[in-house]
Amino acid sequence: MWKYLIEKEFKQFFRDPMLPRIVIVFPIVMMLVFPFAANMEVRNINLVVVDNDRTDLSAELVEKCTESGYFRLKEVCSDPRKAQEMMDKNTVDAILTIGQGFSRSIVTGDGFPVGIKVNTVNGTKGSIGSQYLSNCIMLFMQSHSDGGSSLQDASSGAVIDAAPKYYYNPYMDYKVFMVPALIVIAVTMVTGFFPALNIVGEKEAGTIEQMNVSPISKTSFIVCKMIPYWVITFFMLGMCLLIAWLVFGYVCKGSLWGVVLFTVLHIMVTAGLGLLISNYSENAQQAMFIMMFFVLIFMLMSGVFTPVSSMPEWAQAITYANPLRYYADAMRSIFLKGSSVADVWYDAAGLLAIGSAALTWAILSYRKTS
Amino acid sequence: MENVIEIHGLTKKFGDFTAVDNISFNVRKGEIFGFLGANGAGKTTAMRILCGLSIPTSGGGTVAGYDIVREPEKIKRHIGYMSQKFSLYSDLKVWENIRLFGGIYGLSDKQIASRTEEMLSGLGMEEVRNSFVSSLPLGWKQKLSFSIAMIHDPRIVFLDEPTGGVDPETRRRFWELIYEATSKGVTVFVTTHYMDEAEYCDRVSIMVDGRIEALDSPGELKRIYGVSDMDAVFRMLAGKARREE
Repeated sequence: MWKYLIEKEFKQFFRDPMLPRIVIVFPIVMMLVFPFAANMEVRNINLVVVDNDRTDLSAELVEKCTESGYFRLKEVCSDPRKAQEMMDKNTVDAILTIGQGFSRSIVTGDGFPVGIKVNTVNGTKGSIGSQYLSNCIMLFMQSHSDGGSSLQDASSGAVIDAAPKYYYNPYMDYKVFMVPALIVIAVTMVTGFFPALNIVGEKEAGTIEQMNVSPISKTSFIVCKMIPYWVITFFMLGMCLLIAWLVFGYVCKGSLWGVVLFTVLHIMVTAGLGLLISNYSENAQQAMFIMMFFVLIFMLMSGVFTPVSSMPEWAQAITYANPLRYYADAMRSIFLKGSSVADVWYDAAGLLAIGSAALTWAILSYRKTS
Repeated sequence: MENVIEIHGLTKKFGDFTAVDNISFNVRKGEIFGFLGANGAGKTTAMRILCGLSIPTSGGGTVAGYDIVREPEKIKRHIGYMSQKFSLYSDLKVWENIRLFGGIYGLSDKQIASRTEEMLSGLGMEEVRNSFVSSLPLGWKQKLSFSIAMIHDPRIVFLDEPTGGVDPETRRRFWELIYEATSKGVTVFVTTHYMDEAEYCDRVSIMVDGRIEALDSPGELKRIYGVSDMDAVFRMLAGKARREE
């Protein structure tokens, strides 16, 4: 029996005017566009300098800041009110104020009259911008204290040099961080939401009734419906990995079998969810709304875009119920760090727990009879 | 005579609403049993219970020898069902639909192939074998649905308003298929709104507000109510209905 049902699903899939195209285009767009667009790196911070010192040293500081590549120098002026006005009008993001007597105090070591003002309407840009800016000033300070000037004496004793070393993603490349996460999103779409829409579609067409009066068991019907999507998912996964390698030069650091295993576990979860959605909706519109709800929560609470650890505790607690959290974490660990399945066993446990709960609920709520 | 359907005290409630109210009847092997009633009288609900699609609130019975409450899955092997709504896969071709349903009912590839030839030539539909079902005219779709419902040689075939929306000539040809089936010993259980079709049945029951108000052969019913056609019988009985659609 299965042979005929699977054959039917494949035929219907490839005859659908949209689905085959989505499956090809979606990963390509996702892998080629999202890593660049969904970029958290901050560049091109517009800077205005209020230079009250006007010496070689203050000019050197300004140069230090601009040569970092993160800042775009808009203007050097001497009127702080003008600078403030520029910030109010949103033409600049940061103001660097160099106080009078800047060069003298460097030589004498009497404090450091430099002020930073940052526009934090965009919080991320603001905080990262101020970090960059203070880094530049630090570097400038160091280069001048190394010269054996009085600065070092003034800064009273030991200068602690804390230089972070970045592991696994040494250049803090956001793209490499996003690639595994995007695979997570694609897999969730194809294995969870497409089959749900498919089942609801059969409900609407009335064809499911014809299946329900046949001796075919409900499990066979559903499993046969999902198998093609599973096959297609692995095709898509391969495509994503290939694009990551060809375009970005990223290869999976860990074993591909780990990736496959976690994908299978995640499919178990999404299959359950998809079935649940289709059980509780009578038409495609309802199903879409339920999905929209899940998609938003799943994405925002998964750590795909923002780290879970920086969420408030109550929100962190919610993420434990989110399958995407585990799958995304496992995929990133395996892909970027080369973790083995044993290293991320807790992710596997989380997926298994949610998956069996969702599947059990789905099967209990799915009925051939009413 | 052997009964293939025996129903007693069948009731189905949806909340406060009693869709089917304590009905009892038997259907004999090989007969055409007309199951009539106005819209909302409870026909489809009752039929869904007989097909194992719905569990009765109380009462019970057997279909093809199996209990409708305890063994609905066994019933499904021995019945064919054609729903009111066209329910073949419109994005599959004619032969693909035949193959799918043949496969579901456990026919082998070889059996499916020979059944397909037989069916297509019987229906005169050889030239549309490779057409998508969605492109067929309604009358053809209905004939194809009926033949596919019969693909596994069921003992009983349930037809829920099989000829809705087609012209009298197409309906007449559809009924030829029904007669052909009964000549092979298949029992036909059919709901309809067309009273000329009711005349073709061996026996008819008329449901009003969830209850069976009359059950006999068309000739006997006409005699009892002293009218000349089934249309008048139906209107006399259905006119008593309290329930709106």
